[in-house]
Amino acid sequence: MIKYTVQRLFALLLTLWVILTIAFLVIRLMPGSIYEDTDLPPRLLETMEARYQLNEPMIVQYWYFVQNIARGDWGTSIAIRVSVPVWEVLYSRIPVSLLLNLLSLFISLPIGILAGILAALFQNRRTDHAISFAVVLFVSVPSFVFATLLQYTLAFRFGWFPIVYSTSPGGTPYWWSMILPITALALGPIARVTRYLRGELIETISSDFMLLARTKGLTVFQATVRHAMRNSLLPLANIIIPMFTSILTGSLVIERIFAIGGVGGLLVNSLNANDHPLTVAILVFYSLVSLLTILVVDLSYGLIDPRVRVGGSKNE
Amino acid sequence: MSSDKNSPDVYDEQYSADDFEFIHADDVLADEDFKDPAVGYFQDAFNRFKENRASVAASWIILIIFFMAIFGPEMNDFGFNEQNPDLRNMPPRIEWLRPIGIATGNRQLERRRVEFFEDEERYPAGSIIRVRNRLTVNNVEIADVLVDYYAYRGVEHSFWFGTDYLGRDYWTRLWRGSRVSLAIAIISVLTNLLIGIVYGAAAGYYGGTADMILMRICEVIEAFPRVVIVTLFILFFGTGLFSIIMSLVVSGWIGTARLVRAQFYRFKLREFVLAARTMGVRDSVIMFRHIFPNSVGPIITRTMFAVPLAIFTESFLAYIGLGLQAPEPTIGVLLSDAQAVLLNYPYQSLFPAIVISLLMISFNLFANGLRDALDPTMRGVK
Repeated sequence: MIKYTVQRLFALLLTLWVILTIAFLVIRLMPGSIYEDTDLPPRLLETMEARYQLNEPMIVQYWYFVQNIARGDWGTSIAIRVSVPVWEVLYSRIPVSLLLNLLSLFISLPIGILAGILAALFQNRRTDHAISFAVVLFVSVPSFVFATLLQYTLAFRFGWFPIVYSTSPGGTPYWWSMILPITALALGPIARVTRYLRGELIETISSDFMLLARTKGLTVFQATVRHAMRNSLLPLANIIIPMFTSILTGSLVIERIFAIGGVGGLLVNSLNANDHPLTVAILVFYSLVSLLTILVVDLSYGLIDPRVRVGGSKNE
Repeated sequence: MSSDKNSPDVYDEQYSADDFEFIHADDVLADEDFKDPAVGYFQDAFNRFKENRASVAASWIILIIFFMAIFGPEMNDFGFNEQNPDLRNMPPRIEWLRPIGIATGNRQLERRRVEFFEDEERYPAGSIIRVRNRLTVNNVEIADVLVDYYAYRGVEHSFWFGTDYLGRDYWTRLWRGSRVSLAIAIISVLTNLLIGIVYGAAAGYYGGTADMILMRICEVIEAFPRVVIVTLFILFFGTGLFSIIMSLVVSGWIGTARLVRAQFYRFKLREFVLAARTMGVRDSVIMFRHIFPNSVGPIITRTMFAVPLAIFTESFLAYIGLGLQAPEPTIGVLLSDAQAVLLNYPYQSLFPAIVISLLMISFNLFANGLRDALDPTMRGVK
């Protein structure tokens, strides 16, 4: 297990390095200079290029790039917040994005599980049909359509919620303004958890041990929650963890709609402003999150279900 | 013999040769001829698909949207980029829906001076429908007034879906946008399909080292998060059709490749493949004529699930400002432009939102129906 984890961590670093190299190549091979302002005098441009070693051969530049990163120096922002180290810019944006994403994920779990149990218990009855209809709706319709709908109806028409995110952290208005973005983000994951759990439970409910549980006098609800759920909850972890990446992607748009100053908005801004060092840092952040997610999922297979052997040689 | 009951002589007494006759003597003996027409795989699947009412309804909605995407933009005389400064942000108006209060073409104008309400120059006859919230500020009487916006602006033509901030007909732009979005989705999905089938077939059929190398390549590509791929493409090639389609293609084919590979592993050691090989059939023919047709069902299902995903990704990119360049609309571009004026002109968000939601729901339902219908284990199950 430890050997496998170390191997995987090594592979993760390797992937990150490949991503970094490709990012470096893409940025340096792009047509035109990083400094596009043609009004600047040529001498100044030359000085700036020399300052950032842009006039050296590509392979030398790459060597500087790797050296700097190995030393933990990721460069400074060149357009969004000039001369501020990129990780400092990024750190200021990460908490709100993370809060938004984690809250959506945690909220979607209990609701999704409850709806899944209900749908499975009342299989092919009206409750099940209603839940299944909602699932199709929430899985299909993109989160930004829901966000727009919620923003116009609940926030603008009825005035129940603030239209955009409140920038001053803490206090009731702040949490109140988080409700709509979190709802918009959570609808999809709720539907996915529900659909998964319903499918799993319906399969389990007809098995022998459930019959036994009923025979010894448990109610349908008790038997489902205490016996059937046990089997379905563990594999559930493997669909929930990857959902984090998809919520993180979805929050790019939700952050824009509700004017939340998170990582998503920063990525778009830095792309449009040609702030390349910052873009690279954000890319590394996204890659790291997604790679770690995959790693956690793969490791959890072995932890959750001991029958699955991870790693090891094929002779074991 | 004590008992000769069973001897032939006994029978001879009971039955004479005349009691027997030859049957089938003149008949041609053959298996029963099936009167019902043969039901092939796709016919069978289609019959099962028809049973699923939600999927049938979904396929009709998809057909209608396709029809509108193809013919909708040419249905009136406005071009998708025909700007008209006099017709900015006209509300939608459909004559035959006016009596029930939908798409009336009315708009509330806020805080207007009451003294001008009689002025025919400013408010043409019949344009004022209702006046409310009268109040006096600094000795000037003002009020909110609901006007027939078309009469107010002196516009003859009824724009069914209204116009946008440059006075472009929204009907034309909406269907043109649907056309571009669907085109992006279909091109990228077909490309993914082609790459995935060839790649997966090679990996699955040859197996061994080739398979190992091909699958490691897949894993490396898969490790790149989608946002990162899209960002890198847009950094290098700029925003545009090519970047969007490529960012959908780069990692999109891997799922299909894995599926095809698994199917090839399932079928490549079957007897019919051995028979074909014994007869000296070439590898490429065995792969695509003998093995591949067995995996058509799951591939079709997967492709249908990929279409809504591609439509979603395109809109998503447009939303974060990485979409197609103006003036070409896509559903995502329309949604993202409309988001900026959501509170003033909500109808501009409403129409593309309805189209994309319908498309996503319909394609998912359609694919669900197809999955159940094409699955051979469902054969004969009602």
